[in-house]
Amino acid sequence: MKRIILLLAVSCLLFTANAQKYMTKNGFVGFFGHTPMEDIKADNNQVASVLDVSTGEMVFQVLIKSFHFDRALMEEHFNENYMESDKIPKSTFKGKITNLSSVDFKKNGTYEVIVEGDLTLHDVTNKITAKGNLEVLSGGINANSKFNIVPEDYKINIPGIVREKIAKSLEVTVTMKYAPLPSK
Amino acid sequence: MKSYVKIALFVVFLIALGGILAALYLYNLKPEDLQKAKPHFTITAADFQKAFEDNEKTASKKYINKIIEISGEIASVKTGEKNSLNVSLKTGSELSSVICTFHSVSDTTNIKPGNQIILRGVCSGFLMDVLLNNCAVIKISK
Repeated sequence: MKRIILLLAVSCLLFTANAQKYMTKNGFVGFFGHTPMEDIKADNNQVASVLDVSTGEMVFQVLIKSFHFDRALMEEHFNENYMESDKIPKSTFKGKITNLSSVDFKKNGTYEVIVEGDLTLHDVTNKITAKGNLEVLSGGINANSKFNIVPEDYKINIPGIVREKIAKSLEVTVTMKYAPLPSK
Repeated sequence: MKSYVKIALFVVFLIALGGILAALYLYNLKPEDLQKAKPHFTITAADFQKAFEDNEKTASKKYINKIIEISGEIASVKTGEKNSLNVSLKTGSELSSVICTFHSVSDTTNIKPGNQIILRGVCSGFLMDVLLNNCAVIKISK
């Protein structure tokens, strides 16, 4: 009996060690769009994200108002005219690493991953696929990705006069430095 | 050319020039420097976080987009992309803090866990933590 309890306890421990989650509240998401008139660029350093290494699930949450622009007027237009951030304050991504088996979380190194999931932006949800890198370190995991999104896909209405000024497609950069979440 | 035509042309020119200058000024306007701005609210980190924890809706209405002067003890400091700095402040909650993002800090020597800080930032809302953006240090003490 004692042995069974011990076995159970050990397997429980092993299980929690394997089912470890990684988290950050200081992640970075930025976007960039180039047009002949000007570059549109914004940074958000307040991204919350969780990575579950046992299932490959990734969740990201950002506040639209946390995007910081170099030009105050651009930030105001972004919030008020395009993203309507008073009405729709958050954007989320829920997805999964599709090639999880090619990542060895026990071995330090950089692994290429493909993440597929639902991006909800401006209350519109679309399936997206992004390529990225996972860097397994002792005591943490770094994640990087770059992908493009089209504002029109998210019903972000850009009035005719400025449509030419705003890039059709924006390049999104994601940089996360995850730390292990203590399991309870 | 008659003199009143000249005057009229000159006035039109002045208005056009004024318009262009105003547009350029607005276009190039930088985010407000909060070091010089007057805060809308002055509050401790613990009270601020509690306001959002207790009732996110009311707190959001009251604080979002407002300049908050906040005081508290630094819990952790993280450097981010492009010279940004995230400082989280201790609150009454273990899981949720106030995260303050600085986009450029010249002197980080005293921005260390354990030190007391007073800073100003614009509240962008609540995720797991209350988030302040575009922050500026007002006072820091060991």
